[in-house]
Amino acid sequence: MSTAKRYMPYIGPLILGVVLCLLPPILDERWKLIFLLVFIWAFLAMGWNILGGYCGQHSLGHGLYMGIGAYLTAYFFQSFGLTPWLGMIIAMAASAFTGWFIGWVVFRYQLKGAYFALVTIAIAEMAVYIVSNISALGGAAGIQEDIKYGIAWLQSPNKAVYFYAGIGLVVGGLLLTQYLSKQRFFYYLQAVRENEDAAEALGVDTVKEKIKASVWSAVWCALGGVFYVQYFMYVGPRSVFGETISVQILLFAIIGGLSTVWGPFVGALILVPITEITRSELGTVFQGASLLIYGAAMVLAMLFMPYGILGLAKRLQERYRNKRSSNNLAPRGAQPEGGEAS
Amino acid sequence: MSMLEVRNLTKRFGGLVAVNSLTFDVEQGDILGLIGPNGSGKTTTFNMLSGAYKPTEGTITYNGERLDGLKANKICKKGLTRTFQVVQPFPDLTAVENVMIGAFSQTGRGGEARERAMAVLKRVGMEKDALKLGKELTLLQLKRLEIAKALATEPKLLLLDEVAAGLTSTEIDDVLELINQLHSEGITFIVIEHVLKVIVNLSHRIIVIDFGKEISRGTPDEVMNDPAVHAAYLGEEATIA
Repeated sequence: MSTAKRYMPYIGPLILGVVLCLLPPILDERWKLIFLLVFIWAFLAMGWNILGGYCGQHSLGHGLYMGIGAYLTAYFFQSFGLTPWLGMIIAMAASAFTGWFIGWVVFRYQLKGAYFALVTIAIAEMAVYIVSNISALGGAAGIQEDIKYGIAWLQSPNKAVYFYAGIGLVVGGLLLTQYLSKQRFFYYLQAVRENEDAAEALGVDTVKEKIKASVWSAVWCALGGVFYVQYFMYVGPRSVFGETISVQILLFAIIGGLSTVWGPFVGALILVPITEITRSELGTVFQGASLLIYGAAMVLAMLFMPYGILGLAKRLQERYRNKRSSNNLAPRGAQPEGGEAS
Repeated sequence: MSMLEVRNLTKRFGGLVAVNSLTFDVEQGDILGLIGPNGSGKTTTFNMLSGAYKPTEGTITYNGERLDGLKANKICKKGLTRTFQVVQPFPDLTAVENVMIGAFSQTGRGGEARERAMAVLKRVGMEKDALKLGKELTLLQLKRLEIAKALATEPKLLLLDEVAAGLTSTEIDDVLELINQLHSEGITFIVIEHVLKVIVNLSHRIIVIDFGKEISRGTPDEVMNDPAVHAAYLGEEATIA
């Protein structure tokens, strides 16, 4: 019972993986691309969700970490012929350091809320201008990767390979988030988000936990950036560090459901197709229609689902559970849900 | 050696002296009452003992170790935990998750933390509210949750800041019973309280402060009959139950 219960939440992502793997034969090229974008955005949003959702530190500059992932991989590949496998590790390490450094500076000095958000925007925006002025990184034109097919070069002429790799990222991301959500780390992050003074008083080193969240989030988004650049074979300053990128990342997480395992994926799954379709259908008639839809979705979500799509579902479920347990003499909570994490 | 030795503890905020050279000891097994009129510096004293504020002057020694200057989370791990006067739940976490945050100071494992948290909720009589969110709880439940979170850190010395404030008379009796039971299980307490019924019934010794300075100390009887205390409270002794 308890073992079954413990592994239950991991079944969902695996089922999703199987379902997604069955999709390519029935999807046309356009929908394959849309799904691929869903995978990329969902993965990035999951990374943001660690710092922005679970820890409640709303970064508006996560394009920075995606950019570090994409740029360094492309740079080492183009300039030194280094395999993206190694480039990826360097990029993730560099992103970890950046996440640590930014976290160390802002959290040590107790920067919070709007001030934290402003600093993150500023840093990502600085990255646009810095990178635009470094000729080794292609300046404003960015880096175009050469074609070099093969598993050793993380490139393939077959787009299906990317599709399956994207599924791997999403399923892996969901499984890892699910695992972390039962660990002390994520409980501590939520305590920090909810009430820092109370968390401190209960033995939580709030500064350390926030910095840890920043590092995890940075490494995660850097990996998303690596996938992005290996798929599109191109990276430019605005296409990763730009503010629209950073905003989109958090939008999917917020609308899907902050600090939920599935929220970022659900948000991306719903919003990416809407944007892509409106962009292609209305793009010539009504430019920017997709951005309008984002805006409207954001407003509606905040009004009617302050906890996102999944938050709404969870709350309804909890209400039902509470009702049941107050009707029931042996409440569900009284049975220890032993050994969820180990 | 006393469990807690406080020497010349002082906190100044700019020109304001919130706590002025307090000196006292707490022995293992004590229940020490800390009372005084509003703004007399009781909570500021707690904030220094628990690490939320750094003392301007003075030392805090706990089991022979200096605590002054340490951060709250380090002090908590040493077995000295506080509750807050204004309840501080994690509103979007369930009651059991609230308590798990405390329990995680004792174990890194999620399942074990949940079991410990459930056991603590049971001790404070809240097991049936385990799955309610922090923001769905009543004040009485929040006061109990406040104690439960602190208990889950397995404190040896527990600082209670006005746990009875805002509760009805029967609810206060429940809280009194709970504290007495925890005391019998070996926890030492420092209690800040405005409700004199609580302080008089619980405390072995009482220290009275006014404008940050100690004005009286002794057994509940001695303190309650001290003219200096009467003067500070200006007739508030009428509420002695």
